[in-house]
Amino acid sequence: MNGWLGLVIMIVLAVGYAGVMIGLSLLLGPKNPTPEKLAPYECGMPAVGDARERHSVKFYLVAMIFLLFDIEIAFLYPWAVALRDLGWAGFVQLVTFFLILSVGYVYVWRKGVLDWGPAARVRHPAERKAA
Amino acid sequence: MMDTPFNAVVPMLCVVFAALAVMMAEAFRGRDEQMALGGLGIVGLVGAAVSSMLLWNRNASSFGVIVADNFGLFVTMTLVIVGVLTIMFSSVVVRRDGLPAGEYYALVLFAVVGMIMMATANDLLVIFIALEILSLAVYVLTGIRRDDPRATEAAFKYFLLGAFSSAFFLYGIAFTYGVSGSTRLDRIGAFLAAQSMSDSPLILVAIGMLLVGFAFKISAVPFHMWTPDAYEGAPAVVTGFMSTGVKAAAFAAFTRVFLSAFEPFSVDWAPMIWILAVATMILGTVVGVAQTNVKRMLAYSSIAHGGYLLVGLIAANDVGKAAILFYLLAYAVTNVAAFGVIALLGTRDAANDELRDFSGLWHGRPALAALMTVCLLSLGGLPPTAGFIGKWYIFSAAVSAGYYGLAIIGVLTSVVSVFFYLRVVVMMYMEERDPGLAAPAHVGGVGMVALVASIVVIFYLGVLPTRVLDLAAESISTIF
Amino acid sequence: MLLTLSWLVPLVGALLLLLVGNADGRRDGMIRWLALGVSLIAFAVTLGVWAAFDPASAEFQFVERHSWIPQFGIDYFVGIDGISLLLVVLTGFLTPIALLSSWGSIERKVKEFSIFILALEAAMVGVFISLDLFLFYVFWDAMLIPMYFLIGIWGYDRRVYAAIKFMLYTMAGSVLMLVAILGMAYLHSAATGSYTFDLLKLYSLDIAPQTQMWFFLAFTLAFAIKVPLFPFHTWLPDAHVQAPTAGSVILAGVLLKMGTYGLLRFSFPLFPEAAAYFAPWLALLAVIGIIYGALVAMVQPDMKKLVAYSSVSHLGFVVLGICAMNTQGMQGAVYQMLAHGVSTGGLFLMVGMLSDRRHTRLIAEFGGLKTVMPQFTAAFLIMTLASIGLPGLNGFVGEFLIMLGAFRWAPAFAVAAGLGVILSAVYMLWMFQRVFYGPVTHEANETLTDLQPREWAGVLPLCAMALVMGVFPTIFLKPMEASVDALVLRMQATQTVQVEIPVDRRPDDERRLTTVTERVARR
Repeated sequence: MNGWLGLVIMIVLAVGYAGVMIGLSLLLGPKNPTPEKLAPYECGMPAVGDARERHSVKFYLVAMIFLLFDIEIAFLYPWAVALRDLGWAGFVQLVTFFLILSVGYVYVWRKGVLDWGPAARVRHPAERKAA
Repeated sequence: MMDTPFNAVVPMLCVVFAALAVMMAEAFRGRDEQMALGGLGIVGLVGAAVSSMLLWNRNASSFGVIVADNFGLFVTMTLVIVGVLTIMFSSVVVRRDGLPAGEYYALVLFAVVGMIMMATANDLLVIFIALEILSLAVYVLTGIRRDDPRATEAAFKYFLLGAFSSAFFLYGIAFTYGVSGSTRLDRIGAFLAAQSMSDSPLILVAIGMLLVGFAFKISAVPFHMWTPDAYEGAPAVVTGFMSTGVKAAAFAAFTRVFLSAFEPFSVDWAPMIWILAVATMILGTVVGVAQTNVKRMLAYSSIAHGGYLLVGLIAANDVGKAAILFYLLAYAVTNVAAFGVIALLGTRDAANDELRDFSGLWHGRPALAALMTVCLLSLGGLPPTAGFIGKWYIFSAAVSAGYYGLAIIGVLTSVVSVFFYLRVVVMMYMEERDPGLAAPAHVGGVGMVALVASIVVIFYLGVLPTRVLDLAAESISTIF
Repeated sequence: MLLTLSWLVPLVGALLLLLVGNADGRRDGMIRWLALGVSLIAFAVTLGVWAAFDPASAEFQFVERHSWIPQFGIDYFVGIDGISLLLVVLTGFLTPIALLSSWGSIERKVKEFSIFILALEAAMVGVFISLDLFLFYVFWDAMLIPMYFLIGIWGYDRRVYAAIKFMLYTMAGSVLMLVAILGMAYLHSAATGSYTFDLLKLYSLDIAPQTQMWFFLAFTLAFAIKVPLFPFHTWLPDAHVQAPTAGSVILAGVLLKMGTYGLLRFSFPLFPEAAAYFAPWLALLAVIGIIYGALVAMVQPDMKKLVAYSSVSHLGFVVLGICAMNTQGMQGAVYQMLAHGVSTGGLFLMVGMLSDRRHTRLIAEFGGLKTVMPQFTAAFLIMTLASIGLPGLNGFVGEFLIMLGAFRWAPAFAVAAGLGVILSAVYMLWMFQRVFYGPVTHEANETLTDLQPREWAGVLPLCAMALVMGVFPTIFLKPMEASVDALVLRMQATQTVQVEIPVDRRPDDERRLTTVTERVARR
């Protein structure tokens, strides 16, 4: 328990400080609400429509692909640091990992995920048959 | 084979590369170009089979977390057989139903990779990763017919409950780590054996959590709720794949975790699994009786079969472990073939999986009816089929461990299950074809080859099981 | 090798028939002849076994043993003694007759029908020759499949119900036997360190009395359902009535005997102490079955159902004889099995012929057939009298020996069973009278054809056999004598209760019983 005491004090202090600050401003600050002030902040322009509207599926795809390559980078850093210790075995492992990811990359590229123009959309044969 | 640190993952890599090749081929194929993508997958699976044979008796291990011991390799072979049969049946279905071929085969292969990984993993975290690899692929396969509301519902239900069970599993891993300080099965086992912790509630919580996680995956009662819907909604060939492959992989990991790491606590978990097994066998068969959809009926039957497998786990002796392996193989081949028949009878617009769709099948397609009958008799455990030897083995294990009650419940429920298998036979042989139905689909080519091959295996295991029984016995000698 | 052939020949025949292309039914005739030929070859093989059988020896003969599944100590282990020999021959004898009976009545899917009959024969012979419990169980369960299809596809109106009931009833009993078999193998391994399903080794296994009770009950339930013993008999009327004629002939002729054979071969010698304890109770059920079956048979409007219930009654005699556990009782039981197979098989065969002609089996639909079908009437009379147990015909010898054995063991049972003999005369003769005597009451009956040569081919051997078995019982008693004696000695050696040492038949007993039966028959 002794080793962790400092951490506990630190957490208590951090939470306490934040709580106290917010509490005080709620308690002491003047409140004059108007409709403009209550509206969500939108670059100073009046908000139009609902925030929960449909976005193109492409956004999600890009987000997911981004996630994958982000994680790849996360693996690359420690590997680069420990390159000499890991030796050839580590090299082979990471190359295999790369290979798998790059096949995925080529796949999404060929499938048209990266094409954002409407004309370049590639349709799958089966999809076209169904249409 | 050369000794390298990668030996144990070679079977997996074969399938991974096959899956990657399928994806590449799909990416580069022309718009209307037909490709034998399934063939690529079969090549990879055969590679996995060959490398498994070469690894036999070598006890290879990679990175300390993947062990290609005979137990894992036996299950790997079973999974390869399931994969090959599934791809053969799929080749008919994919073309007929216009499913996206490249994605379909790649997902099947990735699922197989996850399954093999699960069967050979020696670390709770790796088991978890494997579980996720196979689950994600199977969720998508369940809903691969996007235009079918039933399939979408099934996929979604399966996904939600699967995620739920993963949470349990992960929580169990956390507790286990908290108690023993490791996620490696051998280290956990050594730690638990060395310590006298029978009064520690933490380890019991950990065992309970992991048990729930596994119980979801093998659809043991009362964690089976997702099974009938998911199995009914998915395309028949996918149902055949997941009712056998997922179950085999999950059982392999289940057996490994509970009979190696948690073996010292068998006094605590055996009664829990006893209750699960009895509930699973009884509910699976009794509810199965009430079904009018063949796919749903087979879903309940597969729940019941999970119960029989649990009997082998409870026996927890050498007979039981080998029996689980043999039963998994026998059940896998039979069930894939049975679902294969259903898949082959379907058309693009109609699943044809209601009981009455089988009426008078004998008159139109005698060979198909006969093959289906053999599958059903094997599922029911009648000689001279694989299912009979499997049941014999499982119940020997129960009796030799002194669980007479379990054996009696098991055999009685298997009689009840014969009742609903026979209903299909009655429909096929003893009823005239419903005049409102179209003639049953023509089946030929690869699908028929796969069916006949499965039947040959069913009879081989039923009449001359010696060789495979030997392999099963060898499989458990290297570990545990 | 000869013994293996006796079940392999029908099986290979069935597989060969599978290869004959017959989608449009064009080759029905050829298939019929082929199937008959195969079954005759199989019969010849069983006769060959009998010819080479040494009646003086009580040992199992023609023993063949090959390692099959060594992991469990399972062998392909077959052999016969005097008891199973006769049942194998009976199976070989009845199968061609069953096939012949189908020539007139089965018109659809002849190929599949023949395949199922031959497969059934293979399984039945297998049951009788197996000396390995695993092998026995495989044949026992495998036999259900063809019978299920025979009833379900070619049966009458409620065939599906009857087929499923038959299958589930039999399986429910047999799976408990499976657990008991596994338990015995386990006990053997606990005692000696190795698994075995070898019957001869298990005979010498020493099982605690308490355990014996459970195992005995598990085995006996399986066999009691098959026999069928009184409270477990409800599947039988359904299955018999709904089955096609060939199915009924085999069902009554051979399948029911598997139950009584199982008692003789497995339940009693494997668990002698439990057998001694339960024998009076079994005998009680048997006697209830004798009288109950007879009474219910009496009021049946349907001939086939009547014969079916008469089987319940007759098989009760067999069980009673086994329970007596003395030489006369056991010999009588085996003899009665054969006799019942011939006479009841014959009755079902001929009821089936009537049913083919008139498409009804109701007694009320007939009357005065004697004038229309004199040859048929004569043959039917022989079978009726044989079934009643008239001296000079096959039924008498078995029933007499059983009564004798039962009398020595527990006279009360014998007296009660005697009542069953009287009742059997009542219901059989009453049916005969209503069907064949009197004026022709239905127009449709006036034009019925008499026995055709093909039908004679089935009926004649049965009638001849009924006579031969009645007049020369020694032919059939001789081969079983040594085996039965050995069995009785074995039972007595391990029994705790006192059972009489078998003595020679006393002539005064014989005379007394003969006069009783004769008086009954004359009525």
